[in-house]
Amino acid sequence: MRVFLTIALRNLLLAWRRSAFLGVAIAAVTLLMVLLLSLSQGIRDNLIFAATALTTGHVNVSGFYKTAQGDASPIVTGAAEARAVVEKHLEGVDFIVDRQNGFGKVVSATSSLQSVFKGIDVSQDTRFLKAVQLAEEREYVKDGRAEVIGSAEDLAKPNSILLFASQAKRLEVQVGDALTLTTQTFRGMTNTAEVTVVAVAKDLGMISSFHVFMPPKTLLDIYQLKENTTGVIMVYLDDIDRANEARAELYKAFEDEGYSMMEYDPRPYFMKFEGVMGEDWRGQRIDITTWEDETSFMSWILTAVDTISFILIAVLTIIIAIGITNTMWIAVRERTRELGTVRAIGMSKRQVLLLFMLEALILGFASTVVGAAIGAGIATGITAAHIAVPIEAMQIILMSETVVLSVNLGHVISAVLVFTLVTALAAAWPAIRASRLQPVTAIHHID
Amino acid sequence: MSSAIVELNDVIKDYPLGKLTVHAVRGVSIRIEKGEFTAIAGPSGSGKTTILNLIGCVDVPTSGKVSVAGSLTNDLGDRALTALRLHKLGFIFQSFNLIGVLNVFQNVEFPLLLQGGMSKGERAKRVDRIVEEVGLTAHVKHRPNELSGGQRQRVAIARALVTNPAIILADEPTANIDSATGHSIIELMKQINDEQKTTFIFSTHDQKVMEQARRIILLKDGVVVDDNAQNGDGQASGAAGEKLSGTDEVEE
Repeated sequence: MRVFLTIALRNLLLAWRRSAFLGVAIAAVTLLMVLLLSLSQGIRDNLIFAATALTTGHVNVSGFYKTAQGDASPIVTGAAEARAVVEKHLEGVDFIVDRQNGFGKVVSATSSLQSVFKGIDVSQDTRFLKAVQLAEEREYVKDGRAEVIGSAEDLAKPNSILLFASQAKRLEVQVGDALTLTTQTFRGMTNTAEVTVVAVAKDLGMISSFHVFMPPKTLLDIYQLKENTTGVIMVYLDDIDRANEARAELYKAFEDEGYSMMEYDPRPYFMKFEGVMGEDWRGQRIDITTWEDETSFMSWILTAVDTISFILIAVLTIIIAIGITNTMWIAVRERTRELGTVRAIGMSKRQVLLLFMLEALILGFASTVVGAAIGAGIATGITAAHIAVPIEAMQIILMSETVVLSVNLGHVISAVLVFTLVTALAAAWPAIRASRLQPVTAIHHID
Repeated sequence: MSSAIVELNDVIKDYPLGKLTVHAVRGVSIRIEKGEFTAIAGPSGSGKTTILNLIGCVDVPTSGKVSVAGSLTNDLGDRALTALRLHKLGFIFQSFNLIGVLNVFQNVEFPLLLQGGMSKGERAKRVDRIVEEVGLTAHVKHRPNELSGGQRQRVAIARALVTNPAIILADEPTANIDSATGHSIIELMKQINDEQKTTFIFSTHDQKVMEQARRIILLKDGVVVDDNAQNGDGQASGAAGEKLSGTDEVEE
């Protein structure tokens, strides 16, 4: 084997121009793949971070309450009892918190916007306070100060509200300003509440553009709900990858405890209204979802990024594969006489095949490792440099104000393996043809 | 009489050439005993190389039987033919055909690596001995492009010898080197033949080289026209030599 490696390596060095050209091309495509995968992972990480901070737990216990066909309230009555079921039956829980849900209009003196209302108890919901960073005033007020005004902890005050920078900008408000919330109660009446802006947070991508936060009491009052009512019990696990498993466990636990369950539907709660309203049942039904279900309406972003990446990589891979095949053909033609010699000496077809495949694999592996390493380095560098995303629409899609490329070791290894495999496959046909050359034909080949 | 190590029995070899068929060998029967030092001579296109290819198991006859080292090659598949070449035959080529990216030691060692079953130390010992025999100890780390034509052919001889093959086949071994060097190469082959009793079969159209052979099989147009195997004097000064001297020597 060592002599085969020596021959393969030295032949690559002998044809160093060709090897270098091909190696750079393979490395470049691998680098691009690592960057695109890191971009996709960055968006995914931002999405998970934003979603789990603002709108969903890893697993959620929510549901609907119906008094008649045609209505549907997205609430869980008996919140404390429902929470006790989770605490009793689910293991591997980091912490549990519950939030009220609502939807309505936020009106300022000059503008308004539609938003999801979230009732949050900041004394319990420490995760939220850690995840949300307050924006400097200049980020949402023209000629504003370069300092943070207000405090997220002030959400503990009655009738307070936390907005995100893009919302504050659109509503043309700052900390201390008053806003009016308007909504339809679950009984179909219009209700309003006066709230004061106590904090403005930095945007967290698309999700933050349609969420505002207020104390639970404000939301309970505006919807005229009882104290022991909540919108969703959000469960954070030690391991987010266990979310689906935990969802199944909770479903069974609630069923065993005698709750009426909704059929599993992997969509966010606000997409289920219409269906539930049309159903003919009364009372409370529990719905268990994962963070992926609650953010599925945004999966198109990841699908789009992944699809574009795939097409780009596929086209480049085809070009590279053609290049490798052609190069290997040239190598086989140039070394036909050598092949005849080694076959005459006693090298088997399998060994000839191995010899050529080794060349391709060495070139492919070395190039992809270099490409992947450089790609990972560039991705890490770009993220560390906090390069601002200049266009707001892009910020929403990328779920961040800066470019975040998240390097995942699994992706890097996949890129190396995929392109090494592509190199091997592209080299396979010339190598097979080389191994099938008749020794007598090869020996008398004229260079 | 000892048993033949090579036997060709009414061998015919035809090659398609477009719509034509080239009759390279037309009914040749040859018997070569173990330890012979035989030249296959003839002008260009007479079928010398084809005969060597058939004996060397790199080609198969259109008809007739070829027996090498006790195996009837007609009946063997690619694997068996490869094994036969690896274990029983050694090759010396007109253009040396060394592996350019390997040095002298590695080129000579290569067939042993293909054979396997020998420790690194044993291989090194064997290679060093053979390299010394061909007088290239000082060049053991050199690559082929750092050697003269004669030195390269000595490496090729060493590579052919290293597995202790029963037969060494040499196709025009002196064609690409000057006559003095060519003479020394044939002398080296002869010396090995004397000392180790290895059977040598080589093709040539060079009168001086032919004179160094102990047996000459003269071919013309794919047919054996003379074979001095029965001369008994061990020299190529008989009828075969005279007949070849009258032929037109065209480079092959």
